[in-house]
Amino acid sequence: MPHAAPSTFTGSADGIAILVLLTEFAMLRAQLLSSQVRLYAFQSLVVTVLAVVVAATRHIDELYLLAALSFVLKVVIVPRVVLRLLSHAEVDLAGSSAFGVATMIAIAIAASIFGFFSIGALHVQSTALPSTALAISVAVVLVAFVLIILRSDVVSQAIGFFSLENGVSVASLVVASGLPLIVDVAFLFDLLAAVVVFGVLMRIHHRRTKTLSTEPLDRLRG
Amino acid sequence: MSQGQLAPQAIQALQDLTILFGAPLVSGVVAHVEGRLQGRRGPRILQPYYDLAKLFRKETVVPDGSSWVFLVAPIVAFGCYLIVPLLIPVLTTYPLPLGYMGDIIGGGFILALAGFAVAIAGAESGAPYAQLGSSRAMTFGALIEPTILFVVFAVGVITATDLPYALAAIGRSSASEIVRPAHVLAAVAFFLVVLADTGRVPVETHSGTLEFGMIDEGRVLEHSGGPLALLRWGSAMKQLILYTILIDVFVAPWGLAGDRRPISVGLAIPALLGKAIAVGCIFAIIDNSFSKLRLFKITEFLAAAFLFAVLAVLVFYLGGG
Repeated sequence: MPHAAPSTFTGSADGIAILVLLTEFAMLRAQLLSSQVRLYAFQSLVVTVLAVVVAATRHIDELYLLAALSFVLKVVIVPRVVLRLLSHAEVDLAGSSAFGVATMIAIAIAASIFGFFSIGALHVQSTALPSTALAISVAVVLVAFVLIILRSDVVSQAIGFFSLENGVSVASLVVASGLPLIVDVAFLFDLLAAVVVFGVLMRIHHRRTKTLSTEPLDRLRG
Repeated sequence: MSQGQLAPQAIQALQDLTILFGAPLVSGVVAHVEGRLQGRRGPRILQPYYDLAKLFRKETVVPDGSSWVFLVAPIVAFGCYLIVPLLIPVLTTYPLPLGYMGDIIGGGFILALAGFAVAIAGAESGAPYAQLGSSRAMTFGALIEPTILFVVFAVGVITATDLPYALAAIGRSSASEIVRPAHVLAAVAFFLVVLADTGRVPVETHSGTLEFGMIDEGRVLEHSGGPLALLRWGSAMKQLILYTILIDVFVAPWGLAGDRRPISVGLAIPALLGKAIAVGCIFAIIDNSFSKLRLFKITEFLAAAFLFAVLAVLVFYLGGG
């Protein structure tokens, strides 16, 4: 039997989650490091919009605060910091990755299909919960892993890690939107710590190897 | 049959005639708009008709050593393009007698048969560029195929049938069906397929004769006279057929005739052509805003289309999005 179209809330939550997943795929394709950072900023903006939508439809006022915080942090500060680091490094292009773009996207599609089916196997379906958005957020996390694994430059790996946090945010927004604010804020400060750590790593790596590629690390011997 | 109503067979013939004689008009208007976008005056709107008339008057030259296949293939392809409009909603919301002759996969097969006929004629000519075009068209056609299949699957899971009429009817039933995520993703995937199949810019430049980037255009380089006219006319018809499927099945299934009165069927013809011209103008804008992809980068474009189609099926199948 054909299903009825989803309700406005479910439909828009699903649509926004799909947009997050598509940006994740676009990051796989992006060759310019700066465009990858901008894609991350866009993805964070989309997640912020999702927080506002959830706050408005479920009348959870704390989420507005969270949306404002995540906007300032993930759309403005983190991309700025990473772009600043990049401008010091004076490297524009990501190095060659293990596979071509089409192959990487095929692998990522397989990973997200796995994510979809594993959520589908859990049977966590209820009327209040957009289970598609949950499945998509798992797919975002898996595609972020693919990005981290297949790209061999520090920036892509850092951005992959940050966007993984975006996927987790989507999941927490749609599944547990009533999560205490302190937990969500703790997530954000986790991210801040990660930015600092990755920033230091990027600088040290670039100073030692004069490149952002991780290939020189493969040649290290104990 | 009551008074003042057209016979279903007549409407069906009218669907074919609309595609047959409307296709050069749509191409002409789009070429004109494209010229304007590039700061040229652009060719006359009726130019494709004059071109066809001119080509039909010219003599036909056949390359040395090529067989009857070379001359028959354009007719086969043209015949295929005349069959497809019988299967899809062109003018009416209700299925016509032969509408159940084939489903959406059947329509795809017939379009593929036409492409195969043109490709084999190009290979038969023995000329290097025509053979190059044929081989490339088949290669990229094979890469587009998975996307088309997944779009068909998406239609299948949404409607629980494989009939284009059913999806159009669901789309008309409420606006929320048009904007549901699965439908939007399938529509975007099909849009990208149309872009690739009509030889538009990220994949191929459809005007000009730059052999390096040629895919579809390259196949017909050796044809002349009547067969060339049939091939040109056929590719205009293929374009209008794909636009019609995009419009009447996916994006805007409104403005079709709901009954068999001559007035509503008559109004559906300009409505379809108008919508097709609007879609063509969007393609012309894309043509002018993007650069052509390198030949080996086309797989990235097709991977993106495949991604949309797969997501459409997944989002619907696991969660009813």
